[in-house]
Formats: sequence, C-alpha cells, structure tokens
Amino acid sequence: MDFALSKKHEMARTLFKEFAENEVKPLAQDVDETEQFPKETVQKMAKNGFLGIPIPKEYGGQGCDPLTYVMCVEELSKVCGTTGVIVSAHTSLCCDPIQTYGTEEQKKKYLPDLASGKKLGAFGLTEPGAGTDAQGQQTKAVLDGNEWVLNGSKCFITNGKEADVYIVIAVTGIIEKRGRKLKEISAFIVDKGTPGFSFGTKEKKMGIRGSSTYELIFEDCRIPKENLLGKQGKGFGIAMHTLDGGRIGIASQALGLAEGALEATIEYVKERKQFGRTIGQFQNTQFQLADMATKVEAAKLLVYKAAMAKATQKVYSVEAAMAKLYAAEVAMEVTTKAVQLHGGYGYIREYDVERMMRDAKITEIYEGTSEVQRMVISGNLLK
Amino acid sequence: MSRDVYVFAEQRDGELQKVGIELVGKARELADDLGQQVAAVLLGSGVKDKAQELIACGADKVVVVDDVMLKEYVTEPYTKALTAVINAKDPEIVLYGASSIGRDLAPRVSARIHTGLTADCTALEIDEETKLLMMTRPAFGGNIMATIVCEDFRPQMATVRPGVMKALESDASRSGEVEEFKVEFSAADMNVKVRETVKTAHKSVDITEAKILVSGGRGIGSADKFKMLEELADVMEGEVSSSRACVDSGWISADRQVGQTGKTVRPELYLACGISGAIQHAAGMENSEFIVAINRDEDAPIFDIADLGIVGDLNTIVPKLTEAVKAVKAK
Repeated sequence: MDFALSKKHEMARTLFKEFAENEVKPLAQDVDETEQFPKETVQKMAKNGFLGIPIPKEYGGQGCDPLTYVMCVEELSKVCGTTGVIVSAHTSLCCDPIQTYGTEEQKKKYLPDLASGKKLGAFGLTEPGAGTDAQGQQTKAVLDGNEWVLNGSKCFITNGKEADVYIVIAVTGIIEKRGRKLKEISAFIVDKGTPGFSFGTKEKKMGIRGSSTYELIFEDCRIPKENLLGKQGKGFGIAMHTLDGGRIGIASQALGLAEGALEATIEYVKERKQFGRTIGQFQNTQFQLADMATKVEAAKLLVYKAAMAKATQKVYSVEAAMAKLYAAEVAMEVTTKAVQLHGGYGYIREYDVERMMRDAKITEIYEGTSEVQRMVISGNLLK
Repeated sequence: MSRDVYVFAEQRDGELQKVGIELVGKARELADDLGQQVAAVLLGSGVKDKAQELIACGADKVVVVDDVMLKEYVTEPYTKALTAVINAKDPEIVLYGASSIGRDLAPRVSARIHTGLTADCTALEIDEETKLLMMTRPAFGGNIMATIVCEDFRPQMATVRPGVMKALESDASRSGEVEEFKVEFSAADMNVKVRETVKTAHKSVDITEAKILVSGGRGIGSADKFKMLEELADVMEGEVSSSRACVDSGWISADRQVGQTGKTVRPELYLACGISGAIQHAAGMENSEFIVAINRDEDAPIFDIADLGIVGDLNTIVPKLTEAVKAVKAK
C-alpha cells in the first residue's frame, strides 16, 4: 500500500493547480454573480487537454488514469464549483459511456472531438417524474425505418444547451418479466441541432450558478438507427454504470469545495484579530479546524480509493457511492463551518466561502442523492 | 293551505335571465310531483310582454308586478313587492336564482315573512312521504353535502346557482294566465338611490378565481395556439392558464402558470391541453372538481388524474369542442 502520489500525478496536480489559480479563480465570483457559463475557460481547458484526461490516446485523449481526472476536478472545484462540474459531467457522463459501450464507429465519430474539447458532452436521464426513481422514464424512442423517433423531455441537465453531444435515456418498449410489465430502457447519442431537439427552461440555481442547467425537449426528434448506444434494452444498466463513474467526479468536486473552504478559513483565522489575538489562537477555532481537516483527509482517501477502483476493477459502485456520500456531506459541513469561522464576513458575497457553501449543497443531491448512495451501499451489504 | 311552486323570474334591462327559465323548468318537475302548479313572479317596469316566454318555458301562471319603482333592482322595493305577492298567494315553495340579485333578495324576503331559506342548492326534490322539499347544498367548501328541510314554515325557499338546473324546451303552444298584481309603493320605499350602473367588458380574472380553466402545455406547440385555447375559454366563460413550459417559452405571462412554482387552482373544470401532467404541474391542479385531459400520448401521467381523457391531436379536438359548446349555448 502506497499513499504517496507518483511523480506523474504530482506533475499533473501542479498543472491543474496553476490553471485553477490563474485562470479559474479570478473569474469565480463573476461567474456566480452573472450566472454565465464560463465559455472561454472551457476553451482554455480544452487547449490544455482537461476535457479528455481519461480518454485513450488512440481516440485523441490524454490516456491518463481516473485519479488524474479526479485531481483535475478537485483542483478546479477548490476555486470554482461551477468549473469542476463542467469537466465532470462532460468526462464521466458523456465520454465515459461512449468509451465503455460505444461501437468502434461511435467511438471514432465522437470521442476525438469530445477529448479535444472541440465538442462538449452532457447526459440526459432525469425527468420531472423520474429523479431518484430513474425507472419512471416517460421519454419514448420508437424505431421508424432507419431512425429512432424521440418524444419527451429531460430536466436539470448539466451542460445543457452548451453541450454538443448528449447521452439520452429513453423507453423503447414494454417487457414482461415474471408476469410484471417493465419498461425496456435504452441509451442513445443525440447531437445538438438535430431537428425536434430543443432546449427549454434554464434553471436558476442556489449554487454552481455558472453551470448551465437546462431542460431538454424532444418533439418527434429523429436520430439515425446507429445512434443507439449499447444494446437495446440495456439503457438502465448503462445509465447506472455511467453514474457510478460520475459519482467519483462529483465526490472530487465536493472534496475540492471542502479543501478550498478549509484553505480560505485557515488563511482568515491567522489574520483576523479579536480580543487582541488572532482568532486562530482560540481553542474553539483550532478544534473546529482539526475536525474539518480530518474529515477532508478521510474524504480524500475515499475519493482517491474510488478512482483507483475504477482503474482496476470492473465493478466499483460501492466505492463510488461511499466516496460521493461522505465527500458531499463533508463538503456541506466544512463549508458551513468555514462561513461560521469567517463570522459576518463569511456571509458577504465578497468572500468566497458563502459561494462554496451554496455550491456544496448540490453535491449531496445530484448524480444520486445521499439517500441513493446509502441505498447502494446498504443494498450491497445485505446482498 | 300553501300551494304551488313559485319562481322569482329575474330580469335585467327587461331581459329575462337564464337562471329564472332554468328554475321554471325545475319548478315544473317539483310541482308535478306535488300535483300543483308553477307560477313565475316577474317584477319590473314595462316587462309584461315577457310573461308569455315564461309560460312557454313551463309556467302555468305569471304574476307580474309592473311599476316604475321596479325599473332597476333595488333591495327595498323588490322585497316589498315579492313579500306582498307571497303574503297574498301563500305558495308552498319559492325558488330564486343565486345571482347577485337573488342572493340579495331572498334572505330579505325570508326574514320579512319568517321562513327558512337554503342558499346555493345543487339539488332539489320532493320527499315522497313527507312531501317536503329536500334542499341539498355543498357545505364546508364542497366537502359535505347537506340536505336541508324546512318543516314548519311556508313557503320553503331556496336559491340555486345558474346552470345547475335544466330549462325546458320553449313551447309556444303552452298556455297559462298572466295576472297583474298591484303593489302600493311610497316614495320612502326607494331608500337607495342608484347613481349609475356600469357594465365592464369581460376582462380576464385571476386564474385562482376562475370556475373553468383551459390550460395549455408544451404540447400546444407555439404561442399563437393560445388563441385557440382562448376561443374555447371564451365560449365556456373560463380563463386560460398554462404549465411552466409555456411560461418559460415566453408564450404566456407568468401569472397564468399553474403548478408548484405557479398558482394552485381548484376550478370546477380544468381542461389540460397538451400537458404531460408531471407532479410539478399536477400539484397545482389535482384538486379541480373535474379534469379533462387532451394529449396525444396515451401514457402521459395526466391521464392518471383526469376524470375524462381524450387521446388525440388537440389542434383537431379543441376547435371542435369550441364549436360544440357554441352549439349547446345557442340552444
């Protein structure tokens, strides 16, 4: 067992850290304030190869391991939760399923542009009536000659409207299983600009406000037959397996947010004076920071372990669920305490910690709520 | 001995109001059960010629009080006139439309002659054994149906909302007598001075107040399709509302949005046109009295809460529905 990062990983982290400090941090407040998707930052990240980290070199990616990708999301999220999730949704939720389930043609067609960042990716699973209960899909896909015809809508889709490639989950029929009628669910690749595919509401959110969260609308949207991803009827499994990977991305985002808030707080308590001393000299502050740092470290080990599991194991659902559950709850707790330790200033938008607290909350909700993670973990324990 | 079923035949500007004609039809049924007659009471100024219409619609007799004091509705002269008619005729039953006029007049009369009154009835029938009028009305916001009788005092009186009872077909061959009834008024009876009467054109009301809502969702396809829904809403005397999708698309203003982040509505009739019926929308309208859903997708969740579902293209169905309602109204 070796807890030290390899030289390669250390170099990668330095690269991510510098980029985050120089390119992302100066814009973070403005991105939040204006709710603007940071287009230029995404283009810069594309140039730096951040959008194809775990994609094999043969498809135009960097060919790095999941841990490298995790560190990228973590470093970006330390300074800006929005930027972290853009990379995570693109990589884990769009590139990964194409890489895992796509045919050679699909991989050749889509991965190079996604890896280079020429195109951005997104993932459409959630619907108004199908959140945690993802089986409750209403969107339909019907085969008509050489085309699938999609009808329905998806909501809360990260990178919506900004992305060019969408993985879309839809019902392709009804199957009988042991006398019970079940929906047959399949996965598809849908390109932006396909007639009948449009964007609805842009959500106004509490946090990650620069992340573009849209409704997708399909009205007799016709896509080529060959845009079916994986086998027909295997869509639910594909979606779930995709989310296992995505959860590692979100766990990294949560970890980054917690680390960013902790770092900012350490800086602050060393400077801020009350009663003639820095507030860092009060034992309450010290103990709070000790707890925060310990939890962040524990979260980090879980997240990195999940990344390693993805690199070496076929199944890593439990590792991913534990990492996301714990890191998200730590992020929420640490950012809340960070605001407290900043006192009144922590509640002012000029200081970063209030934004981090708002950003943290979503990590307990998306890509499976904390409750879902507990279902995954306990389901596995009680198999 | 009290006899006969009387109806207050409301008129405005000399025009008989529909609710009065509906009640003459209902009174016909009640009077037949009792083996008695139907009389309409017509109060106004220069309205005698309207009496025949009431006979054609089922009245055996019309009592007309024609006096300049009764030109416009004012509580006191109308109460005085109707009280005089009731005291002279001793009817078994008197029915009023629950219009703003009926709701003002009926309680005055009931207090003056000391008898019972049930407001806003939705059902009236004669009990076979006791021959009493069984007056049923919703209470507690429609959660309880109360059936009320007035045992000891006469006449038994009720107000009924417009549209609840069915009018009889007008039949010009029916005959009946018209009786002119004199009431002595004094100048003191005009205790209210009507300064002016203002008629405003129908303008949209808050959707939470509307009794009928024609609601459009994304399935209507474009902003101009709301015209089609407005036409239907107009003939049904309802309002147009919408799901969030149409508001977000800028097709309709946000004050029309029904749902979790919009308004919660409880109309008597909710027509969901091209609305899938996700819970975010359903939460705002599922307590409507009656829900009709029009959607081309038979699996749409809206059908789980609809009382009546039509699977089909709303572009065909809505205009046809508008025509059908128009035809019914024209009768």
